[in-house]
Amino acid sequence: MLKTLIIIPAFNEEGSIEKVVNNLTAKFPNYDYLVVNDGSSDHTQSICHRNQYHVVNLVINMGIGGAVQTGYRYARDNHYDIAVQIDGDGQHDVSYLEEMISLIEKGQADIVIGSRFLEKEGFQSTQIRRMGINFLSFLGKVLTGVRVRDITSGYRVVNAKFIHIFANDYPADYPEPEAMVIAAVHGGRIKEYPVIMQKRNAGESSITMKRSIYYMCKVTLAMIIRRISFGVRR
Amino acid sequence: MIPVTLRVTLIIAVFFYFIFILHYLKNKMLELKYTLIWLAAGFVMVLLIAFPELLVTFVAVFGIESNMNGLYILVFAFIITTLMTLTSIVSRQNLKIRILIQELSILEKRIRELESAEQGEN
Repeated sequence: MLKTLIIIPAFNEEGSIEKVVNNLTAKFPNYDYLVVNDGSSDHTQSICHRNQYHVVNLVINMGIGGAVQTGYRYARDNHYDIAVQIDGDGQHDVSYLEEMISLIEKGQADIVIGSRFLEKEGFQSTQIRRMGINFLSFLGKVLTGVRVRDITSGYRVVNAKFIHIFANDYPADYPEPEAMVIAAVHGGRIKEYPVIMQKRNAGESSITMKRSIYYMCKVTLAMIIRRISFGVRR
Repeated sequence: MIPVTLRVTLIIAVFFYFIFILHYLKNKMLELKYTLIWLAAGFVMVLLIAFPELLVTFVAVFGIESNMNGLYILVFAFIITTLMTLTSIVSRQNLKIRILIQELSILEKRIRELESAEQGEN
């Protein structure tokens, strides 16, 4: 069996982290997991310690990208073959995990993304956000030739090759679409797997309406620059 | 041409500018690496005071209307370059800090686990 690590970035998730981790350990006792507590200011850390969870406490808040990268570094240092990232807010249904991981185990893909837009079921996000996601997805296709419909999904499974790549180089804030560009230019075979996502039951989305314009500009630029810098290197 | 008194004043000013930088360097409040650009700027200032014709030539070459405008453009370009250098330094440090935080936090986990294992043995 391949060594699998589930990375759970958590920033102020005191309301959901117990549910997420307990659910995970009950369903998948043979997978390791790692909570990356991103310098939470609430009780996330003490909840993790009380339950003796496997947790890395980032001493300073670094944002989702820095937290996820910590997980990849940990996975690399401890020689994991497969890394999974799921959100700490309970949005991602782990019952798809086995099938997503098996796609990697069978060597059919290097990266599997849990996508809510393939079957169009469950929580679909607001219309304006879907437009934004479609645009980024289209941009990704133009830049790399790879179409990822749910390009902002933080529900991902990657193999050892990309554990190493992401451990060395992972975008800082709003990282998901940019990480896909990195994966595509490294020749990663990216597959989407249909999942149903829940509406978040606690905590806040990292992207508020006020920030969405900044988000779109920054991510668009970041993706283009990623693509260009790889083009130059080749 | 610049009057002699002004030139003397300027030379004294630049002299103090260098003293200032040296003072910072001596007290390790500046790293030499980051001071080079300021030293270079001081050198250019000395050159311009010693040979004001250089500015006139520069202005003529680029078709700038007046000497003062040429000087402003020079200063402005210098400041922009410096700011970009600073942003780049900040960004590089940001990256280093990021790796430090991650490695430190992973180490903290290891220590915590080692300590609790040790406690379990005792």
